[in-house]
Amino acid sequence: MPVVHYFWILVGLPVVGALVCALLRAPRAVLTALIAMAAVETAVGALLVKGVFSGAQESVAWGWFYLDALSAYHLAILLLVYLLSTVYAAGYFRHELATGLLRPGQIRRFGILWCGALAAMALVLISNNIGAMWIGMEATTLMTAFLICVHRTAASLEAMWKYLLMCSVGVACAFMGTLLAVAATRGLPLSGSDVMLWTQMRAAATQMNLPLLKLAFLFLFVGYGTKAGLAPLHNWLPDAHSQAPAPVSALFSGFMLNTAFYCILRYVAIIEAATGGSGWSLHLLQFFGLISIVVATAFILFQEDVKRLLAYHSVEHLGIISLGVGLGGIGVFAALFHVFNHSLCKTLAFFSAGRIGQIYGTHAMDRIRGTLKAHPVWGIGLFGSFLALIGVAPFALFMSELQIIFAAMDGRAYVALALFLAGTGAIFMGALKHAMAMAWGEPEHPTPAPAAGITDVILVAGSLGILLAVGLWMPEWYRSLLLRAAHIVEGKI
Amino acid sequence: MGLDTLFVFLVLTSLILLGSSLLSSSIRVVALQGAVLSFLPFLVMEPGWAGRAVFLAALTMALKGIVFPTLLNRSLREANVRREMAPLVGYSLSLALGIALLILAFWLAGRLHGIGVGLSTLSLAAAFFMMFTGLFLIIARRKALTQVLGFLVLENGIYSFGLTVVGHIHWLVELGVLLDVFVAVFIMGIAIDHISREFDHINVDQLDQLKG
Repeated sequence: MPVVHYFWILVGLPVVGALVCALLRAPRAVLTALIAMAAVETAVGALLVKGVFSGAQESVAWGWFYLDALSAYHLAILLLVYLLSTVYAAGYFRHELATGLLRPGQIRRFGILWCGALAAMALVLISNNIGAMWIGMEATTLMTAFLICVHRTAASLEAMWKYLLMCSVGVACAFMGTLLAVAATRGLPLSGSDVMLWTQMRAAATQMNLPLLKLAFLFLFVGYGTKAGLAPLHNWLPDAHSQAPAPVSALFSGFMLNTAFYCILRYVAIIEAATGGSGWSLHLLQFFGLISIVVATAFILFQEDVKRLLAYHSVEHLGIISLGVGLGGIGVFAALFHVFNHSLCKTLAFFSAGRIGQIYGTHAMDRIRGTLKAHPVWGIGLFGSFLALIGVAPFALFMSELQIIFAAMDGRAYVALALFLAGTGAIFMGALKHAMAMAWGEPEHPTPAPAAGITDVILVAGSLGILLAVGLWMPEWYRSLLLRAAHIVEGKI
Repeated sequence: MGLDTLFVFLVLTSLILLGSSLLSSSIRVVALQGAVLSFLPFLVMEPGWAGRAVFLAALTMALKGIVFPTLLNRSLREANVRREMAPLVGYSLSLALGIALLILAFWLAGRLHGIGVGLSTLSLAAAFFMMFTGLFLIIARRKALTQVLGFLVLENGIYSFGLTVVGHIHWLVELGVLLDVFVAVFIMGIAIDHISREFDHINVDQLDQLKG
């Protein structure tokens, strides 16, 4: 099959999935259809990225579609997080249906929007055209807004409105940046729609109008940065993450933020190539990465709601990723490594928090006690993912954070290093206290916990196992993939 | 109507919005601004693009001049609100800030025009001023409906900027803006309906339970 078909399937299959969901009557059928769709999508994606992963192909391109090490890596993470979240969603919503928290119609609407979100995010990752990339980002906002208020409560509507408004303005800002970036190509011998192709812009970067390009980057950074949850434009994030149903929070935190950050990385590549590696854009990323870490620290220490706690961890980790890229050199490699580690870990954390929340009937941490006793599988999932999140060795997140520290020492960025260590250190203490309090102790209301299914065990053991394995040993193909992706970000290829 | 007249008109309508408290008249002003904006393609398009200009103008007029105002008016009736109560920033202060934003817009436009962007300083300044006004309305007003109006004005600014700066390049640019406005306003309209069913009014300051 020609490669173009894979690209079309990647965007088209979720659209078909959405139609199927709209037609199905039974909620269980909707959930099953979603899993089937996610599985086929993952298989197609795997075939597409295979060549790039093994290094056999530098990139795969067809018209407006394009896949290189950077996007293939992100696509693989998206598909993994999406597949896991879909499998988890089936179990999570079955419980809600059984307890009458959700009506069948709400499941159908969830199914349609869930598919739409995948199509939009896939479009962002496989677009070579920066306009199409932007359309994907915009569609992501619109598709996911109503996923936040699957449960129609005053609080979830508030979170949805905040999200919709802030991210729409952010995406509008990013559009302004896209226009400016296109304007910066004026006078170049590029024709028609070619000027909007990332590969063309990247190749002609040194001849672009630099002041305009820099202005464009400012708009793009603010716009996509809002969507990526970088402080100080992160206000929507804790609300949206805490109000959305757990599978949605997992996808938001596990990948949607990274989709937006990926867009920033694409432009970092152009800017760095245009300025000859002066690090102009990297300083911005470093600065706002540090602000995110500091802001997140303050909120994590005094948090009372477990899902909000995890949401602020997302601000922290996106900050760490941004800082890593901003440090340049080995930092970019470490940051990209951290993307996968954080995505998988945060996905598991939200899965666990969601099920624990169902068991205890609350997300207030002072009322969640003895999770290890109440439900060993999800109790271990929550505690384990917290340990990984705060950077306990030898989980993969520890390794990537360690490399970021090396990068900071390499680049003599001692202020950044000090802030990073202080922030993550404080978060380590604060979050560990929260996690231990929830794990041990006597459950207040010994709720009859549903027996752990085999899928639950696989989700928890699989995720923690991968995080441990990657932390202890990095396969050679993975290292080379990350190195190539880092080169792309630094504008060296 | 000359190009400069049109831009002056866009600036004036934005200023009126800053000082207006009656929601129905704000909707009318935004509709008027959209209608005026729909003439822009005719004035900036290069010769030979007449068909495209007509298409764009018709689309802009239909959406920004007719569809959105109708949708917003419907939301207004259903939500049963008439005016913006106690905005975070008062109207005279808003107008004064508006003048400051206008000066900022002209300064920025001058800088940009200096590096060879845009038709004229005025065209850029009008676009920036609409963007600033939109953002200001979103931040400084409490009614969800006014925030949507702010978003529309912000989008009008970007549309105007896109058309005058990179209008020659590709259909995607304009499609992007129109699509964005259409879907965003459509979705925001639904969101407002949901919210107004749940709450009595669509005051955003009631949406303040989530903190910390």
